[in-house]
Amino acid sequence: MTQSPPSAYHAKVASLYVDNLSWVQQWIARRLGNASDAAELAQDVFVRLLTQPREFDSDSHARAWLSRVSLHLCVDFWRRKQLERAWLEALAQVPESHWPSQEHQAIILETLGQLQDLLERLPPRVAEAFSLSQLHGMSYRQIGELLEVSERTVTKYIAQAMFQCALLEAELDGVLL
Amino acid sequence: MSQRASFDHATLECAADWFARLQAAPADAELHAQWRQWLEQGEGQRLAWSYVERIGQRFGSLQQQGSVAHQTLASLRNGKHSRRRLVSQLGVLAGVGMLGWLGWRSDGLDRVRALRAGYRTGIGERRSEVLADGTRLWLNSATALDVQFDTVNRELHLYAGEVLIETGHGDSRPLRVRTRAGLLEPLGTRFSVRDEGALTELNVYQGAVRTTCADSGAVATVQAGQGLRFDRQANGPLVRAQARREAWSRGLLLAEDMPLAQFIEELASYRSGHIGVDPALHGLRVMGSFPLNDSDLVLAQLQDALPIRVQRRFDWWVTLVPR
Repeated sequence: MTQSPPSAYHAKVASLYVDNLSWVQQWIARRLGNASDAAELAQDVFVRLLTQPREFDSDSHARAWLSRVSLHLCVDFWRRKQLERAWLEALAQVPESHWPSQEHQAIILETLGQLQDLLERLPPRVAEAFSLSQLHGMSYRQIGELLEVSERTVTKYIAQAMFQCALLEAELDGVLL
Repeated sequence: MSQRASFDHATLECAADWFARLQAAPADAELHAQWRQWLEQGEGQRLAWSYVERIGQRFGSLQQQGSVAHQTLASLRNGKHSRRRLVSQLGVLAGVGMLGWLGWRSDGLDRVRALRAGYRTGIGERRSEVLADGTRLWLNSATALDVQFDTVNRELHLYAGEVLIETGHGDSRPLRVRTRAGLLEPLGTRFSVRDEGALTELNVYQGAVRTTCADSGAVATVQAGQGLRFDRQANGPLVRAQARREAWSRGLLLAEDMPLAQFIEELASYRSGHIGVDPALHGLRVMGSFPLNDSDLVLAQLQDALPIRVQRRFDWWVTLVPR
């Protein structure tokens, strides 16, 4: 793909922005049911064009890309909201004196988001066993009783989960043969 | 380093395996010695192990809030909010205001799972499919359905739950739907079939559907705007088609002056866990359209509209009591 020099590219993005911002914003608002978040997410769609430059063959090509990115940003947004909500619901079950500081919570949510991405790729029982072991600190025997499988199977689940998680990281780093 | 270090899948698998075994027996000195031996075999082993450690640390960093963190991820998992599913739902449900997706669990569907049907939905999940012949299906919550197309027939087998069908045009092979109660043969149409165990409920919105009871062979023809319930032996009376048996495909639960208990029963089929209704509330009736994708929100709406209070014992156990 050939790319225009930066200044020309910025001019293109600017014209795409002017031509498309309003429908992108409406498109997102329709899905989120919320105009102010939509306004912000719509900006992010175009920011992505600046951080990851790309050329479009036609207006319809540009529109297709914009709606695809919009959908992904909506999904990210929703996942983040769900995570926050699930976290707060879970937190409500423990005494307030045990709650981490707001600042710490932000870090925890960030990490939880990464763990969610990792665990979501695993079969549910494997994910459950791994999470019980690594987060809850349960022994394999306890996990086995809970999931009604042998300790041996739990060991296998843990190994499988660890392999999949580490594999993803290694692939992202490009260190796999 | 002249060349970037790397390792293969098998080495990473070994590393993960060691991790799992060491955790099972943290005090086993002999196991530790064996692990050290493996680790010192080379650069690849050490690098692979560093990835395992990295993952372990990331989880470990949350151990102080471990049970809350676990609970958070478990409820997200049970709610089936995977990225892929969200993408498809955001696509399918575009236009329906979505306020929240939490509150569903995937448990309790073992009976249906055991059937290993080709098309399945979990509790609270709704999905649409387009079959090879252009027929569109909307699967409601907790539905199991098989599709068998061959050169002469197109047959759908509904094992559990509910399906709304819009038949494709221009396929000469007859389309049939089988349920426990009998057989349904649509004639170019849009209709919903709901499995209620021994009974099957049919609602026709366009065209017509012919039904045959499995045992007695009794037939009935149900026209657009009509509904029918039948079992293996006999047909019930023809009644007006229920709009709400179609509304779910658009993500809505419709109540037209419906008794509260019946409404809750319907709502409960989109949510695992128990929703109880205090007998004192049985006289109340519900009117309106409600979003199917958020049963918590619906409960909150009911609380606003009716003299009731939603009492939450646990996430999965909710009781409606007089206010």
